[in-house]
Amino acid sequence: MTDTLLQRIVLPVASIEDAKATTERVLPRLRDNGSDVLAVHVIEKAGGAPDKASVEQRENRARDIFSVVEETLSGVEIDVETRIPYGTDIAQTVLDTASEFDASSIVFTPRSGSRWVKLLTGDTALGLLNQSDRPVIVLPDDDKGGSG
Amino acid sequence: MTDQELARDLGFLEAYTIGLGTMIGAGIFVLPSIAAEAAGPASMISFAIGGLVSLLAALSLSELATGMPKAGGSYYYVNRSLGNFFGSIVGWGMWAGLMFASAFYMLGFGQYLTYFIPMGPTGVAIAALIMAVVLTGVNYYGVKETGALQNVIVLALVGLIIVFIVFGVLNVDMETLAPFNPNGWPAVAATAGTVYVSFIGFEVIATSAEEIKNPSRNLPLSMIAAVVTPTLMYVLVMFVSTGTLSIDALATSNIPVADVAETVMRSFGTLEIGPISLSMADAGAFAMVIGAMLATVSSANASILSAARVNFAMGRDKILTNWLNQVHDQFRTPYRAIVATGAVILILIASGVPIGTLAEVASFSYLITYSLVHVAVVVMRRADPEDYNPAFQIPNVLYPIVPIVGFLASIAILLQMSLLVQAIGVAIVIVGIVWYFVYARDRAITEGLVGEAIAPQPTTATDGKGNYRVVVPVANPNTERDLLRLAAASAHAHEDELAEIIAVNVIQVPQQTSLSQDVEFEEERVERQQELLEAAQEIAEDLDIGIRTRAIVGRDVGDVVLDVIEDEQAEHVLMGWKGSRSTREHILGSNIDQVVQHAPCEVTLVKLATTKRVDTVENIVALAGEGPHAPVAARRGAELVNTTQGEGLLTLLNAQQPDEDDDPQQQGEVVIADVAERAGIEYMDYHREVVVGEDIENALLDAVAKYDTVCVGATRSRSVSQALFGSIPETIGEEVDATVAMVRGPKETTRSVREGLIDRLK
Repeated sequence: MTDTLLQRIVLPVASIEDAKATTERVLPRLRDNGSDVLAVHVIEKAGGAPDKASVEQRENRARDIFSVVEETLSGVEIDVETRIPYGTDIAQTVLDTASEFDASSIVFTPRSGSRWVKLLTGDTALGLLNQSDRPVIVLPDDDKGGSG
Repeated sequence: MTDQELARDLGFLEAYTIGLGTMIGAGIFVLPSIAAEAAGPASMISFAIGGLVSLLAALSLSELATGMPKAGGSYYYVNRSLGNFFGSIVGWGMWAGLMFASAFYMLGFGQYLTYFIPMGPTGVAIAALIMAVVLTGVNYYGVKETGALQNVIVLALVGLIIVFIVFGVLNVDMETLAPFNPNGWPAVAATAGTVYVSFIGFEVIATSAEEIKNPSRNLPLSMIAAVVTPTLMYVLVMFVSTGTLSIDALATSNIPVADVAETVMRSFGTLEIGPISLSMADAGAFAMVIGAMLATVSSANASILSAARVNFAMGRDKILTNWLNQVHDQFRTPYRAIVATGAVILILIASGVPIGTLAEVASFSYLITYSLVHVAVVVMRRADPEDYNPAFQIPNVLYPIVPIVGFLASIAILLQMSLLVQAIGVAIVIVGIVWYFVYARDRAITEGLVGEAIAPQPTTATDGKGNYRVVVPVANPNTERDLLRLAAASAHAHEDELAEIIAVNVIQVPQQTSLSQDVEFEEERVERQQELLEAAQEIAEDLDIGIRTRAIVGRDVGDVVLDVIEDEQAEHVLMGWKGSRSTREHILGSNIDQVVQHAPCEVTLVKLATTKRVDTVENIVALAGEGPHAPVAARRGAELVNTTQGEGLLTLLNAQQPDEDDDPQQQGEVVIADVAERAGIEYMDYHREVVVGEDIENALLDAVAKYDTVCVGATRSRSVSQALFGSIPETIGEEVDATVAMVRGPKETTRSVREGLIDRLK
């Protein structure tokens, strides 16, 4: 695929699993492209209430997640950057980061989760699709059925 | 990484209401009955004492928190300053205290519910259990909450209490207040212990220190305000309660404040709105109970989250397994820590421990914590580590009065508590102590600063106060001694600044495994690490130099070493090098490359001679070219000579190309003199040697062959793709069978030195 859509992508990664799945799926599409990739892990802030987990704790986790991204994308001519933005709304924060980065698109793999859980914890995928001002590419998560 | 300031989203109001909510939550509605029964109207003095003791703790805590605004609160400060033994006690104490307090809040919640649903103690316990499960679930699943809601609840509650106090004061009957102190002063003091549970809330502010905006202003302000406000409210609520209802009526009341409110509001009669007749008494009580229920829930919620912060901070210091601190993949919550805390809360509720005892045990744990916080503030001031610059300091007129009085007052209250409470409290302390000896002692990575606070001891092996620090990564028992000896030579040159060596060994763990997992299964590697570091201690004792050892588990050795350098604010890092350039991906080796490229301090890379040991050096040469780091190399050579007690000899060597106009010999000597002066060693006895040759590199290689030690400065300030120190130093390092030290000065100075010089050695 030699699409300009994948020229400069933002890759929101939520967990190690997610990072693995998303990077492995996006990699074959990038290879001959010389793309720029910005991996983003948003640290959700409660905006006035105490957070559920320490910020430092989640920053450490973000770095673990990024190392998976970097490992998967290493050895290919791809420029990988990472960023840890903070925000109360994960989807909106990803979008803000994408516009700062001037991304050509946002690429993600939706994670499974019951509707009930999404209602309580926020549905990031839906937020990305609804509010985005730039192309959003959803890569299919083909080995569903594991833990999620 | 983006601006970390964005991670700080708690302003003064949020921090204040988080603390305040926890302080007035359960306490103000449940405690008046317990307190009134124990000490009569004089219990208002118990609250005043509790407030005063907390104010002292808040002052000490503010100083520590603004100096170290990191997650974990008192645990972190105590562990950092007093070491892992007390860290373990406080960590477990806070965790247990938060669990007991949460159980207390939840039972308080159940009691309020009886206002709507009449039920006995079992019903109360069941309601408490259900709410505890709900809260654990909320935090496990990361259900969104909003800060705004919390502000509204807490401020509304404060408003209600003020209304209650205003109307209540008008209604106080002085006769009801007599006798003021029926049970005597010891009862008042003991009651101070019981009610202290309502004052532990401001700690929640400190545990969230990393999230607070402008911490140097907002931390102390919110903590002090969160202590003063409830203290005043408690004293006045007790005044109104004991002045309105008899002690007997208060003592048997499940929800004393509601009963008082009913009595107070009765004088306002009923409000008729059409067919609805609303008694003001009922309305007042109703509002109070709803507010109280919300407050207990928010208190318990904040406590559960706070406990997870303490767990995290303990894991960070390796006092607790990081297994507990795993963040959930989907919910992004520390789910294991939350479940563990929630489970104990459920057990405590179900165990049938009386609500007052739960409160007192929580108080006990926190009094222990705060007494150590007072010690910590003194230790930190005396030890005065470089990275500790608290924005808030206890005013000079109050120091050291605040920590001393605070410590004594905390202990005094502890001693007044009932035997049962003391027994449980001491049992929790023992858990911490046993944990320290069984688990934490061998794993923990932080060392206390007590030694530094007591007296600076330059040459003790473990706690020498260090300003000039040399970090030495050690991995090989065969080269360890020589590396440490070289580091000691550098440190000894700075003895007036009380230098010390920090020996680091890193156990490397592959990317995909969790750090804690791997270590637990690889006892052997840990054992080897211990041996290596123990040997380092012994060597340092022989060399009469202060040493600290750091055993670290990490993914990337280079990263870890850089972290240690930053953490210790080291001036110098000295590493061994096997003497061969690496594959094409790396220049000198992956870890070495990283440290040489990024370390802000002076870097020395040593290739040890295969034939001669460092302790027998006598013939040392330093290359004196015009490279920016030649003076650093000359200084390194001088340091080494100084440790040989007159046996050793230093030569400064310069190489020149044949020149028809100028005498190369003379030119070389000028450069040598300049290097010696810039190195600050012009007073020393040193030899000069100038070699002349078309090919500088070969001339130098030939010339250094007769020396047993070669010091060479980096020829470039910035690493380029094929060399870190420059090709000449690296070639010498590779090809000469002598001990070769390649040195690079600290990063800041590089630029200014570079400006004046041209890279002529190349």
